[in-house]
Amino acid sequence: MTMDDNELERAIFALPLEEPPAGMRASILMSTAYRPAPAFSFLELAALGALGAVALWMVVLLVLGGGTLFIQTLAAIGNVASRVLSNATTLAWLAAGGATALWLTLFTGYQPLGVAPHRSGTRAER
Amino acid sequence: MPALLAEAPRLLVRPGPDDGELVALTLRGNPDAFATLVERYDRAVYHLAYRTLRDVEEARDATQEAFFKAFRSLRTFKPGAKFSTWIFAIAYHACCDRLNRRKHYTGEQLPERADAGPGPEQQVIELDRAARLRCAIDALPEKYRTVITLFHLQGRQYDEIATVLGLPMGTVKTHLFRAKEQLRRLLGEMEVTET
Repeated sequence: MTMDDNELERAIFALPLEEPPAGMRASILMSTAYRPAPAFSFLELAALGALGAVALWMVVLLVLGGGTLFIQTLAAIGNVASRVLSNATTLAWLAAGGATALWLTLFTGYQPLGVAPHRSGTRAER
Repeated sequence: MPALLAEAPRLLVRPGPDDGELVALTLRGNPDAFATLVERYDRAVYHLAYRTLRDVEEARDATQEAFFKAFRSLRTFKPGAKFSTWIFAIAYHACCDRLNRRKHYTGEQLPERADAGPGPEQQVIELDRAARLRCAIDALPEKYRTVITLFHLQGRQYDEIATVLGLPMGTVKTHLFRAKEQLRRLLGEMEVTET
């Protein structure tokens, strides 16, 4: 079989593609586009964790010192919070931080799976 | 050569929305758009992985890994770039990682065949022309095999092949020239063996 360049190229182009294993496409889709949504989002998990921690802390306070210690602790926290939040400078910084976070989310958008390092046109490793 | 261009691989012309639109739709939260991209390219990506790794399971894993990474980093896909080139590059990197791991663990450059059956040249005798060509491609050194496989998938788009492999275009052309030379020689030898 002596092929010239055109014949060889035609023969190469005419080769059928390999048949992928059964179920490959389904498993790709299940790990990407049709991946089941998690039961809780990150924010929900964080909120649940915080609530759990507060509940635990309250239980510990009640067990250790009864209602008095619990009420005293809450009053102390309330005092600190009211002092901090009545400070105009603190409020200004909080507002600036919130506005910056909001502004950044407008530009970056929501990325459900994060960002991987691959870029179009990256060079091979060898 | 219009006749040859007409025979260029099936990846070049696609019905429906183009790949860039599908990427944009996926980023806007439409999962069906990414499913269409998977449907378009999974077979070609698997073909590249299988031809590079020559192992069904590893090729399947590399293909899945490539699409998973592509999905995760879809935001980094440059508008105007070719999705096929991008996904092939990711798949090729995944294959290289696997080949490097193999080399690390086995100290061998090329993958072992699971069976100790006859080599590609021996198998070729009773096969038709396409099967013979496939065996001849299998018998090529890995760098030539990959270039020929990408040539099969992307046609004469040397710049795209160079992007996927991360090689200069001149090197790609040289590899392709030598790969074709070796293919012709192998096919000639097979012909002689057959007669």
